[in-house]
Parts: sequence; structure tokens; C-alpha cells
Amino acid sequence: MQAKAQPDPRWTRRRTEKQRRLAQVREFADGAVLRTGSIVEVLERLIGPGDRVVLEGNNQKQADFLARALARVDPERVHGINLIMPSVSLPEHLDLFERGIARRLDFAYAGGQSLRISQFLQDGLLEVGAIHTYIELYARLFVDLIPKVVLVAGYTADRQGNLYTGPSTEDTPTLVEAAAFHDGIVIAQVNEIVDDAGELPRVDIPGAWIDFVVQADKPFFIEPLFTRDPRLITPMQVLMAMMAIRGVYERHQVQSLNHGIGFNTAAIELILPTYGERLGLKGKICRNWTLNPHPTLIPAIESGWVESVHCFGGELGMEDYVAARPDVFFTGRDGSMRSNRALCQLAGQYAVDLFIGSTLQMDGLGNSSTVTRGRLTGFGGAPNMGHDPRGRRHPTPAWLDLIETDDPLARGHKLVVQIVETFQAGGKPCIVESLDAVDVGKGSGMPLAPVMIYGDDVTHVLTEEGIAYLYKARSVEERKAMIAAVSGVTPIGLTHDPRRTEALRRDGLVALPEDLGVHRAEATRSLLAAKSVADLVAWSGGLYNPPAKFRSW
Amino acid sequence: MMNTAELLKRESFIELGARERARSLLDPGSFRELIGPFDRLTSPWLAAQGVVTQADDGVVVARGRIAGQPAVVLAIEGAYQGGSMGEVGGAKIAGALELAAEDNRRGIPTRAVILFETGGVRLQEANLGLAAIAEIHAAIADLRRYQPVIGIVAGTVGCFGGMSIAAGLCSYLIVTREARLGLNGPQVIEQEAGIEEYDSRDRPFIWSITGGEQRFASKLVDAYLEDDVGAMRASVHEFIRMGAPARHRSDREADFLACMERVDAAEQARPETVRAIYQKGL
Repeated sequence: MQAKAQPDPRWTRRRTEKQRRLAQVREFADGAVLRTGSIVEVLERLIGPGDRVVLEGNNQKQADFLARALARVDPERVHGINLIMPSVSLPEHLDLFERGIARRLDFAYAGGQSLRISQFLQDGLLEVGAIHTYIELYARLFVDLIPKVVLVAGYTADRQGNLYTGPSTEDTPTLVEAAAFHDGIVIAQVNEIVDDAGELPRVDIPGAWIDFVVQADKPFFIEPLFTRDPRLITPMQVLMAMMAIRGVYERHQVQSLNHGIGFNTAAIELILPTYGERLGLKGKICRNWTLNPHPTLIPAIESGWVESVHCFGGELGMEDYVAARPDVFFTGRDGSMRSNRALCQLAGQYAVDLFIGSTLQMDGLGNSSTVTRGRLTGFGGAPNMGHDPRGRRHPTPAWLDLIETDDPLARGHKLVVQIVETFQAGGKPCIVESLDAVDVGKGSGMPLAPVMIYGDDVTHVLTEEGIAYLYKARSVEERKAMIAAVSGVTPIGLTHDPRRTEALRRDGLVALPEDLGVHRAEATRSLLAAKSVADLVAWSGGLYNPPAKFRSW
Repeated sequence: MMNTAELLKRESFIELGARERARSLLDPGSFRELIGPFDRLTSPWLAAQGVVTQADDGVVVARGRIAGQPAVVLAIEGAYQGGSMGEVGGAKIAGALELAAEDNRRGIPTRAVILFETGGVRLQEANLGLAAIAEIHAAIADLRRYQPVIGIVAGTVGCFGGMSIAAGLCSYLIVTREARLGLNGPQVIEQEAGIEEYDSRDRPFIWSITGGEQRFASKLVDAYLEDDVGAMRASVHEFIRMGAPARHRSDREADFLACMERVDAAEQARPETVRAIYQKGL
């Protein structure tokens, strides 16, 4: 075989720069293995001012050791970086801005740090590049946010850098790929380093994509974000779950779906084996899921409702259960689950009939946002799954069922369902005249108001009052009237005209529980197949091992 | 392992509110509530402190029959103010127990079951609540001379404070795994002893010390049940059949003191050592 000619150096500046930086840290590494104690010095030498740096903060898994190290670098040497994070969750992530190490933030979700981001933005310590949906942020890593350095986390590596990320693979392969194939530098923190690949349960990311691995001082932080304690589900949520099953899932024959996080959707999962069973819907609805391994799905799985589940990420405590149900979940040859957020988001975009999720605020047109005054949360996956992908071409009964015209070129529509209680805790209305996001957007100088799901993508609004079938609306005015009809005594609900609502019911544009054959008196917690975390453990045959904070034993 | 059909059929006792719990223990059709919500006997102290009152003050007094015998069930509603004992609720329990003892003196063999779901005294009612709890103690001690007084701690609130002493006075105590029983609640201990010694948010730790399973293994309670209405009813019937014990747990102070003698205060108490000491001494 002939050796390839070296490319012209005018075209290999990225590669040359990478080699120059790598050469500066050789003394701290034994092959691919970096010394734990030298990590701060290594980051100071590898990262340049203004670099684009991806720091793996996923929805669950956090490269927390690397985040702590990065927060300790000398701001004289490393400053003004553009930090790219799917999810901003740890205090250290914001310390980077306080110390001037980072300047600009591109992210998708900010849960726990949403207050501080909002504060820093006001104080001018932080600029927001943009708030993305996950898959949009990944996409930009290959276009106009190509990273110089990527810092990720895994369970185990071998000395060649082969990585086992197991149930919590999440975003890692995608983040790594963006750097590995464009002369960026990749460092993975791991809980354990073994001598060779044979000792890894499996290789999730090949060592050739990784420049360095480093043993973390303690196992990476992971949060059980998708565990909902059935004890806290209210009868009102059960009523809404019954309406969802009758008025949406059954009516449109929803076979594939995604559920957001929340007690509303947990209630739906938990009444499938009781209420759903009684309606004879098993096998007809809710067969294929794109979903994290929600513990509240266990009873539905055990009673034979669920054919498949592909997961964005793992869920703490569900590892053994998932490994014992490989017919349902995606697992590797070693038996443990494999998650993949990029592919699952793609699946949630193109391959499912329905997305159903909650929000903090929705306006009278169905626009919604979780950004409220003083709280810049971002949206995670909701904007992606909560929209109609116009590139979709394959038909399913639910998708076709939303066609309202006899136009021969009409296409179907994904079901995007907003499930909201009209009031939040503390008597704050959920359905409002104007989203806080509008003011927040203006106040922070954003070019766009941070809207999570746009009203024109929403096909159904489901509240404790009833369901508005928005996809049937013939005008914007009618759409508003439909939402008002199910908005209770919120400012929007008070604008409804009872006679108009009667007409909307007659025309099938709005349905109250009684129109759906849902008996309010039946909406009690006794319909929940599991009423406590202990019940979920019993359903799992002891395989689910709930985190300490969810145990009452 | 239960199969899915059994899991779906199971009837949770913990899920039930105070009134339904009382109803579930009494023979079908025999439930009759005394001083019920429509009597509107509410706390006179809460409104002034900006707390919404409840029409039964969080205590249900239910007359009826258990296994065909006259009985009264006193059920505390844990969902109202943490099951706290105020003047009215406390008086309802104490009064009902006193009347049951009176029944017995007149030849009517009324038994009592107390459903504890309480953090103890209602702080807003201070001494009046404490006085009521003392009356409850005295009334249990009186009634148990004639008939067994059965205490149940099912969860999720548990049983703490002065009412844990009431539980200790009962002839028999029934718990579930979700129950906790202790004199001081976890937060109080953490505040006094420090978080290093007692982290109230470390749930498995808290249950390992005060949880139902540990209390049963330490012989401080008499039955440890699944969260199931049928199991609860069967256990109550069994203890009623057994009648009042010859010696109550609270009469065994010498045995308990001997156990205390064996505690090495220099060492942090661990669940296993607590079990070992009580198993040997009781």
C-alpha cells in the first residue's frame, strides 16, 4: 500500500494546532491516561482563550469532575470561552462565568441553575448564544458551533481510551464525534480505568475518538430526574389521565409516543393497566415508546402493554430492571441498557404519533414556555418533540386521523398535546394572557421570545376541564374560543362565552369529561396500578432499586 | 413474587383516609360516626393563627362492631395538619376511650383500636394539646384493664411525640414497612444532635432506626404487615381474640431498663445493635 501524501499545511491548520496543544500535555499523560492530579494544569494548556468548549452536562449524567477542574483554571490563561452544554445543572457551571473563564453560553436546558443564569444575564456576566432544543444544539456542533475541546463522562475506560458509557450513554457519542472528526480534543472522565478492552462490559465509544481519559476523584454525578413518586399523584391528575386515554389515545389510535416528565403523564402510565385494560385498549394503543426508563411505566410493561422503549438516557435505580427486559429496552451484548439522546430525540421527532407534556405557562393561543420571570430554564427536548416534523412521510392511523380536509395532497399531523392544570400550586394561573417569556426575551435582549412550544404546533390542549381539539379550529378566533372553553377560571377562561362553548361541544371541537364517557367520580387514586414507590418495586419483582430519596423503608 | 393480577387486586390500607380506614376495620354496615364533621366541632385556636380548620379536627370517632363485638375506632387523619393533636381532636379520642372503659364497667365489652398517624402535639394549641394527650394516656391505661387496646401505625406520617407514648401504652401495636415510630421526629433529632449523627433527609437511615421493620425486629411492636386492608383486618381480629395480655409492654420497665444498661453510649448506635439488645432483653 502506498503511503498517502501529507496534505498541504495551509489546509491542516486545525490538525497542526491540535498536535501543538497535545504536545504540551504529554508530560502529564501515560499514553491516553491523564494523571488525575494534573487535570487543572492540563486544561490550562489545552484550552485557549475564546475557544468553543463542550462540557458534558446532560439531562442526567454530569462530567462533574471536569467541570470542577475547569472552574479552577487560572482566568489569566483561560478566559472568554464559549461554553456549550446540553444541560446546565451544577453550581460549577455558573462559577465559570463568575470567574470570567467562560463568557458565552449555548445550551438547551438549565433546570437547577435557571435562577442564577437569569441573574448573571442581568448582571452582564454571561451572554446567551441561544437556547436550543437538544437535537438542534447537537446539529450546530457540526456546522457553526464546532468545538475545539469536548469534555465528557463515562463509567469505565481502558488504557487505550475505549469507553463504556452503558445505560447513561445519553449525549456522549454525539458530543465526541463533533470534535473527534474535526481535530478537536476529547477528554473523558471515568469512574474506573481498566487495562484493556476485554475488561470493559462493551465499547460504546472507540478509543480512536478519544484523546485522553482521566480517572475522576469520585463517580460522576447523576440525577434521578424522571422518577415520580406515585404517592404524590392527585385525583385530578387521574381524571386528566382518563381524559387523555379516552379523548386522545383511544380516539386517534395512538400507537407510538413520548411522555414528558411530570405527574400528569406518570398518572397516564399508571392507569393503563387498570382503566386502559377495562376499555380493552391493550395492544391497540401505547405500544412503542421513546422515553427514559420511567419507573412509573413498570406496571404497564409488566402487564404486557409495552412492545418497545428507546431511551434518551438512563434512570438511576432502573438498571437491573431494564437489563432484565431486553425484549422491551435497547440493550448491549453485555446486557446493560444503551441510551442515545440524539437518536431518541430523532425518533421522538419523526417516528412517534404523539408527544404529550406539561408546561408552566400557556397563553390563549396555545403558545407555551417554562421560562418565567427570573427563571431561564431552557426547554430540553420539548420543542423538538412538541412540533410537527414537516419532513415526515410515513403514515400511521393517528397521523392520518388529524387530516381535516379532502384535499388529495393533504398530509397528516403529529399529535402535540399540552396537558396542563389551569392553576399551579400557590394559586398562580397556568393559562395566562401573555407569557412571561415575552418580557424576559425583551429584557435580556434576545432576538426571540423564548417560546417552548408554539401554539400553531399544538393539536390538543387538555386541562381538568376538558379537551380542546385545536387541530380542528377553522380560524384563529375559533382556536382562542376553544382554549378559553377549557381554561377554567383563569384570566383566559373567564373570557369564554358559555353559549359558544355549548356550540363547540356540539361540533366536537371541545369535549368535557362527560362527552368522552369519563366519569368524574371514578377518578380516584385507586385506579393507579402502583400507589407508592414500594408498589413499583413489587411490580418489578424487586428489580427496581429506587434511590434513597424515594424510599420509605 | 406476586403476579400482576394480585398486584392489581391488592387494596392498600395506607391509601385510605382516616374515615375509610375506620370503616375498613369495622364489620360491614356497623360504622357509625360520633361527633362527625356535621357537628362542626372544630379547633377554636387555629383560625386566630391563620390556619384553616377542619370540620372533624382531623380525628374520626367511629362506633361499630369488630368480629361481632362492640368496638370503637379512633382514627387520626395524617393529611390534616400532620395528624397533630389539638384540644378538640385529643378530647374526642380521650373521651371515646373513657366511655369505652365505662361501657366495660357496665358489662359492655367495648374494645378500642387507635389509628396513629401523627407527629404529636399540635404546636398551635400547645398545652391544651399536651393535656389532651395526657388524658389519652390515662384513658388507655384504664381501658386496657378490661379489653385490649390495639394501636396501628400504617404510615405515611408515622407516630411521634406524646402520641408515641400513647402507642407504647397500647396492648398490641401493628405496623407496616412504611410506618415510623419514635419519640422525637427526625428533624428534631437532627437539630439537637447534629446532621453528622442524624441526617433527617437520609431516608433509608431514618427507616433503619425508626421504621416498622426495625421496630418489629426490636420487639417494640407486635405485628409487621403488608400494606393490605385484608391483612390489617385479620390482624386486628387476631389480637381481639387473644384479649388483653397478662402483662403489657409498658409494665415491663425493669426489662427495658436492663436493656438500657447494656447500651454502650461511647459507640454510635446502629440498627443491628439496637435489635440485638432488645431481642436479648425482651
